[in-house]
Amino acid sequence: MKKEEEQRFVALLEEHQNIVHKVCRLYTNNYEAHNDLFQEITIQLWKAYPKFRGDSKFSTWMYRVGLNTSITLYRKSKRRISTQDFDNVAFKIKTETYDDTEEQQLKALYAAVRNNLNDIEKALVFLYLEDKDYKEISDTLGISEVNARVKMNRIKTKLRTLLNP
Amino acid sequence: MDELELLKKDWNKSDDHHKKLSGKEIYPMLHKKSSSTVKMLFYISIAELFLWIIINTIPYIISTEYREKLNEVYANETLMTWLTIVSYGIILLFIYLLFKSYKSISVTDNAKKLMESILRTRKIVKYYVLYNLVVAGISLIFGFYHTIHYDPAIAAEIKDFSDKQMFMAYVIMTVFSILFIVVIWLFYKLIYGLLLKRLNRNYKELGKLEV
Repeated sequence: MKKEEEQRFVALLEEHQNIVHKVCRLYTNNYEAHNDLFQEITIQLWKAYPKFRGDSKFSTWMYRVGLNTSITLYRKSKRRISTQDFDNVAFKIKTETYDDTEEQQLKALYAAVRNNLNDIEKALVFLYLEDKDYKEISDTLGISEVNARVKMNRIKTKLRTLLNP
Repeated sequence: MDELELLKKDWNKSDDHHKKLSGKEIYPMLHKKSSSTVKMLFYISIAELFLWIIINTIPYIISTEYREKLNEVYANETLMTWLTIVSYGIILLFIYLLFKSYKSISVTDNAKKLMESILRTRKIVKYYVLYNLVVAGISLIFGFYHTIHYDPAIAAEIKDFSDKQMFMAYVIMTVFSILFIVVIWLFYKLIYGLLLKRLNRNYKELGKLEV
């Protein structure tokens, strides 16, 4: 029984793993940390799997567990030696020559999101990028829609000032 | 163009930022150990419960003199028996509450609810520690009082104390008691402060606009 359930879960996660990778992409800034967080989210998903009743889509359910793990449960690992990763360096160079190309602009954007937003703001950005409406954003985080909107606007302003100094 | 719109465009088209894991690679992950804050919180809480139980029982086991004295007290006073029963009842109650609130922590809740249940779990431990500190404080004071007034050896010693010396003795005892409690309190502050720093910060950030 257990074996079957494991197989079913692994198959589902394999199919939808991209969601978890995306969460890791916003919350970590190097390969090691990415894998650590992926690992922790996988454990939390597996632990919560018996409670997954299929009344929401598997992907929606994954958003919650993934973000909750990143915001509340995850203890950043100590073995991460350098938080000063290459993106950070790239960000510094890129801001000087911001208008160059779209690719550079994107790099700077990712760096700004990773390094300058707090955990909650990252969650908002994530859900926004995943095309969730404010209703779903506020449901996932447990805040009011108004609060979500105001926070989102602040993030937009923050990013704008960061990227156009 | 809006910064986030630019990001969104890229976000959806690029699915290959990280190499796709196969089922075989995911499988062993299920059985690895979690390093989550809640798990640490739970372990520390359990350790605390036992620590206090041990602190309470060690003198009984180690010192025969103490045991004899205690047995004497118990033989004479039903009050002490009741106190012991009540204090173990309280420990059991705390274990039950802790377990219940630990169980209520669910990753599938919304973020705010989840943080609330983690903080609630923490609160239970906080009350337990507070309870122990109060009991420890009271016991210390009673202990000192009892020694001064009923221990023949000590009583003989302090009989010749002047008022000033007596006063100093009280001050020293009070300072000692307070110091003892403050050190334990700081110790807890440190453990949980480190563990819950991020959670507290995020919790505050989440509710910032809602008064």
